[in-house]
Amino acid sequence: MRSKVAERILAKTPEDIKIFARLYGDLVVKIHSILKEKGYSQKLLAEKLDKKPSEIHKWLSGEHNFTLRSIAKLQAELGETLLEVPGLQKQRNFQHTYGKTTFKVYVNKTKPQLKPDWKNEVFFETQNDLADVG
Amino acid sequence: MNIFELKLWDDEGQRCTFYTVQWDGDSVNETDKFFTKYENEPEYEETVQELLSFVLYTIGEDHGAVDALFNRFENEVTGLPVQGKIRLGEFTYHYPQFSLRLYALKITEEIVVLFGGGIKDGPTNQTSSLNMKWVEACGFARKITDAQRDGLIMIDEYNRTLTNHLGGDEIIL
Repeated sequence: MRSKVAERILAKTPEDIKIFARLYGDLVVKIHSILKEKGYSQKLLAEKLDKKPSEIHKWLSGEHNFTLRSIAKLQAELGETLLEVPGLQKQRNFQHTYGKTTFKVYVNKTKPQLKPDWKNEVFFETQNDLADVG
Repeated sequence: MNIFELKLWDDEGQRCTFYTVQWDGDSVNETDKFFTKYENEPEYEETVQELLSFVLYTIGEDHGAVDALFNRFENEVTGLPVQGKIRLGEFTYHYPQFSLRLYALKITEEIVVLFGGGIKDGPTNQTSSLNMKWVEACGFARKITDAQRDGLIMIDEYNRTLTNHLGGDEIIL
């Protein structure tokens, strides 16, 4: 059962507004959940990110703009994915060894396979850091 | 006088059931009154859509009434939407300066009662035009909380519903 008024308004609501509501909620809930799980206080997170505790408080209470940059910093520090682009694999294993960068390329399995499976995992070795673009 | 009924407003979400309140003798519940009042005002049309999406999708469908989304405490009730602001690419969405407030009472993470609301046009509720609606929502919330404490309202966690003390769905306070 749903209120008729709610049904009427939802029918007129553009998709981007619905999508934003869900993305926003996902992000806020995920960040709070990771902090709780890892036992991070806002003060500790601030120290790790080299930010003022007041700034972290603003992030988490919503008084701050989340930007892709701040989400990336949070994701790096918390060690868990906060945002990802569908169709791309989560695993990007970069291993730095003696100035060489090794990374795996995973192919989206939902797309038609043009090559045998064994060729989907490709190893590159380079001598410079520019290859680390993931 | 001062009698109202707790009525189901939405139970289609996967995570949360919403109730509303309706004054005795009134034909429309307080939540529908709130949304109807602002949905056709050009200035608030999009705000209403954002707020309803937050209620039905973010809370109702995806997460339930978790603390991270219920953080605007205003005495006995919580103001919706959540406090927050996010910028994705070139788009900036402002929840802190969100102009509407819908008041709610969290019974559990899976059951929420929605009341009415209004325009937050002052720094505090007392100085905003929605003051009367906020005071009214706090009154509803107190009565519901008292009834729950006294056993007049029971929580059926399995069915994610509220019942009266006899197990029926008619709850008049």
